[in-house]
Amino acid sequence: MAPISVPRKPLKLIDRVSAINWNRLEDEKDLEVWDRLTGNFWLPEKVPVSNDIPSWQKMSEDEHTLTMHVFTGLTLLDTIQGTVGAVSLIPDALTPHEEAVYTNIAFMESVHAKSYSSIFSTLCSTEQIDAAFDWSEQNEYLQKKAQIVLDYYEGDSPLKRKVASTLLESFLFYSGFYLPMYFSAHAKLTNTADVIRLIIRDEAVHGYYIGYKYQKGLERVSDAKREEMREYTYDLLNELYDNEVDYTESLYERVGLTDDVEKFLRYNGNKALMNLGYPALFPAEACDVNPAILASLSPNADENHDFFSGSGSSYVMGKAEETDDDDWDF
Amino acid sequence: MSDFTDTQLPLDNTSDTAAEQYDPAHDYHALNAMLNLYDADGRIQFDKDKAAEREYVTGHVAANIKGFASTAERLHYLVDHQYYEGHVFERYSPEFLDGFYAHAESAGFEFGTFLGAFKFYTSYALKSFDGKQYLEDFPQRCAAVALELAAGDEHDATRYLDEMLTGRFQPATPTFLNLGKAQRGEPVSCFLVRIEDNMESISRGINAALQLSKRGGGVALLLSNLRELGAPIKHIENQSSGVVPVMKLLEDSFSYANQLGARQGAGAVYLNAHHPDIMRFLDTKRENADEKIRIKSLALGVVIPDITFELAKKKAPMALFSPYDVERVYGKPFADISVTEHYDEMVADERIKKTYIDARKFFTTIAELQFESGYPYIVFEDTVNRANPIEGRVTMSNLCSEILQVQEPSAYNEDLTYAHVGRDISCNLGSLNIAKAMDGGLAGTVETAIRALTAVAEHTSIDAVPSIRRANEEGHAIGLGQMNLHGFLAREGLMYGSDEAIDFTDAYFMTVAYHAYRASHALAVERGRAFVGFDRSDYAKPAGAGNYFDKYVGDDAEPLGPRTARVAELFAHYGVHVPTVDDWKALQADILRDGIYNQNLQAVPPTGSISYINHSTSSIHPIASKIEIRKEGKIGRVYYPAAYMTNDNLEYYKDAYEIGWKAIVDTYAAATKHVDQGLSLTLFFPDTATTRDLNKAQIYAWRKGIKTLYYIRIRQQALEGTEVAGCVSCML
Repeated sequence: MAPISVPRKPLKLIDRVSAINWNRLEDEKDLEVWDRLTGNFWLPEKVPVSNDIPSWQKMSEDEHTLTMHVFTGLTLLDTIQGTVGAVSLIPDALTPHEEAVYTNIAFMESVHAKSYSSIFSTLCSTEQIDAAFDWSEQNEYLQKKAQIVLDYYEGDSPLKRKVASTLLESFLFYSGFYLPMYFSAHAKLTNTADVIRLIIRDEAVHGYYIGYKYQKGLERVSDAKREEMREYTYDLLNELYDNEVDYTESLYERVGLTDDVEKFLRYNGNKALMNLGYPALFPAEACDVNPAILASLSPNADENHDFFSGSGSSYVMGKAEETDDDDWDF
Repeated sequence: MSDFTDTQLPLDNTSDTAAEQYDPAHDYHALNAMLNLYDADGRIQFDKDKAAEREYVTGHVAANIKGFASTAERLHYLVDHQYYEGHVFERYSPEFLDGFYAHAESAGFEFGTFLGAFKFYTSYALKSFDGKQYLEDFPQRCAAVALELAAGDEHDATRYLDEMLTGRFQPATPTFLNLGKAQRGEPVSCFLVRIEDNMESISRGINAALQLSKRGGGVALLLSNLRELGAPIKHIENQSSGVVPVMKLLEDSFSYANQLGARQGAGAVYLNAHHPDIMRFLDTKRENADEKIRIKSLALGVVIPDITFELAKKKAPMALFSPYDVERVYGKPFADISVTEHYDEMVADERIKKTYIDARKFFTTIAELQFESGYPYIVFEDTVNRANPIEGRVTMSNLCSEILQVQEPSAYNEDLTYAHVGRDISCNLGSLNIAKAMDGGLAGTVETAIRALTAVAEHTSIDAVPSIRRANEEGHAIGLGQMNLHGFLAREGLMYGSDEAIDFTDAYFMTVAYHAYRASHALAVERGRAFVGFDRSDYAKPAGAGNYFDKYVGDDAEPLGPRTARVAELFAHYGVHVPTVDDWKALQADILRDGIYNQNLQAVPPTGSISYINHSTSSIHPIASKIEIRKEGKIGRVYYPAAYMTNDNLEYYKDAYEIGWKAIVDTYAAATKHVDQGLSLTLFFPDTATTRDLNKAQIYAWRKGIKTLYYIRIRQQALEGTEVAGCVSCML
């Protein structure tokens, strides 16, 4: 990916390290989120994506191209977030536990990036995969959004980094997430959708947490600075939104879904603002997302499935606790 | 196992108009999804789901169904074009068929939910070979099934049709899907096959997995008899690679069957807790297991004897016994030895190689794996065998853990022919909708259901696996199930798990058992014979000397019938007579004289797909959610409202996580007393539960006399602040 692979400024991590003590929490939220993230740990191998091959074969060429473009776009974003974004937040962390959470976020973003590859390799030929990656390098809107976000990650404002990061986690991903959710609501690529739902489950927590830390950061700055950040946030969202609309058209125009995806963008734009502690930008009536998509987003692990339906996105890592003698008193 | 939606014509290639795809007012998926979003007043939008159903049936289906001028023309066309089996319809006169189909259509059937309709048309309805047209609607599917079941008997055909059309009796998916069709799989729900400790038997096991998956139906295999990792082969030590590679072979076999059709093959394997490979067996389900040993789609079950619980109680180490040595010492396969009975003896016997693990750690590991994967299922081996009326041993269960029948090992020659054909298991299932069966007076519905299931057994001959064919010919085992318990209780204003609800469950299952045995007795009289082995079963033991029915009529029997006034009233209200001790005594005498026709009669499956079509709550579980999110390969993500739920009676629809495992176990324990086989019992936990909570529930279930435990389901709520606003299934 040419523009992304130019040498970037070296990223400086932290100056000094002290041993992290999880028994001395400065912010309870760190542990809560850490527990949630580790409990949600998953690997793409868990989902039998190969069960989608018959469904994939029934889809049209336009749908194939669209799917591959969408997933390459997502791969790029996850790569950025994994190798630069989440890591760049570490130096700004307010607590050592926050640093630990970012390392988890960074790692899971890399897992996400890899899952797209595993979906690709299951469903498509090498030739198709290469073509899609070529496309991603040439799509100006995709490159532009990567550029915008990267610039902020490398800038010198910790607060701006968090805004960029939250917008990426809670907003920019969703033009891509729309498609697998749409397909799965219409009985296509349902196992692939399981992978994406696992990713959404993670991104929902990431966006929420980074936004939360942003709000904590805001508490420490002057009113003027706060006002500046507010303006900055809405400006950045607007800039990204305009680009995202162009990007969406470049992707979805051929299948006629552009309008619906744009509603979804606005819905998630508001959601990202909410994570950052700001009021919505887009009026509710401009965000009436197709209910099938909205309902399918719910990150709860509560769907019902059976052996014939794929693995689902429901199971979590358990907490081991020994039984004691009373439990065995029969 | 009921969720089998295979078909030889799986592809729904019907087309949607642009409006149906992209206009939210006509997009039935979008309408259906609104069920999961509250309206502006915070009420659940049931009407949107009904609108989705109407939009789908009167729009999409009507535009894609092939029309015919008359029943005769339709049947000729379908038989001539090899869609329907000619001989099924030739046995009836054209005049009868005209009236029969007119009767079916006149009932004015409509689906209760969008999911019911969608599931029926995508998975069950006959379609043209190119998948572009539907060739049947629901009444026509019921008619074809009834006609084949009745085999030319007009009276029976009408009875079967009426039971299905009214929703009182719903055959399991393989029966309901396949009968009447020319291109189809077997009407049997599930198969259970033993594997013995030799290469011929392993090969036969894999062959059975392939052959039976091709024909439809889930397959379970017993691994307990296989020698462990490192056991000798031809007396040379450290040669065997144990059970895990066999699991891999089976998993690949099932997924190969997947490639032939559009569905996945599905299989389960069972292993005794005291098999030396038990921890390796469980570790195949670890999230971070090595690819070489990772088992993704195969279901696992563990067979746990009472002694394992005793050892855990005493905090004693738990001995694992080499099946290779046990078979040499006892002259019997490991699974056929009661570990509880012979534990001390085997521990003391120096000829048997042993390894030790910590018994409590073993239970913790099971619970850990259940968090990560939902598996393993558990069979409480000694409970099962104490309750088993048939001579022989039950050593395993099936893919849904409700089938519990005896087997007998087969022996093979070197060329894989049979030196001795043993007995393996096939089971035909069907379930009553408790609410509708009560509405209809119950007795007649049970009898008709038993006859319908027996007809399936009699028309089935699984030649691909001779041990299954033999047991089916000799035993005609069937499994009558139940569903919509929660729906019925809520409709009547009873809380699931309340004392009255448990009282109802007890009396209902006792009444069903009575009519099931009565019907099977009538069949034995009509056919002039009982099942093979009746004389050696507990059914044939003299009254008062271990007879199976002594639990109803013996001196120390519990009082029969409802304990509470409310439940007695309910039975009276629906005109359902609850059998008395005298009724049972008379039946016991009849059965002692004539026998019963079916070796096994009842088994309560989890009922997935068929309960959606029938608009019931699944099995006798509480609902998983007020609005259930259903995801399936073929239908995508769809939302389903619980049966009889309105915005005014939501209080009776607490979900399984709120109700908690204790009430579920108590409900199942009440039913278990009256069921000769098993009941699929899923346990539900919030993600705040620990492995200890799971273990406590398992200990409780074992103590309450539960026979098997099926899935463990964990519900994780979205982190506060990340949920979708206004989503019904997100709310507690």
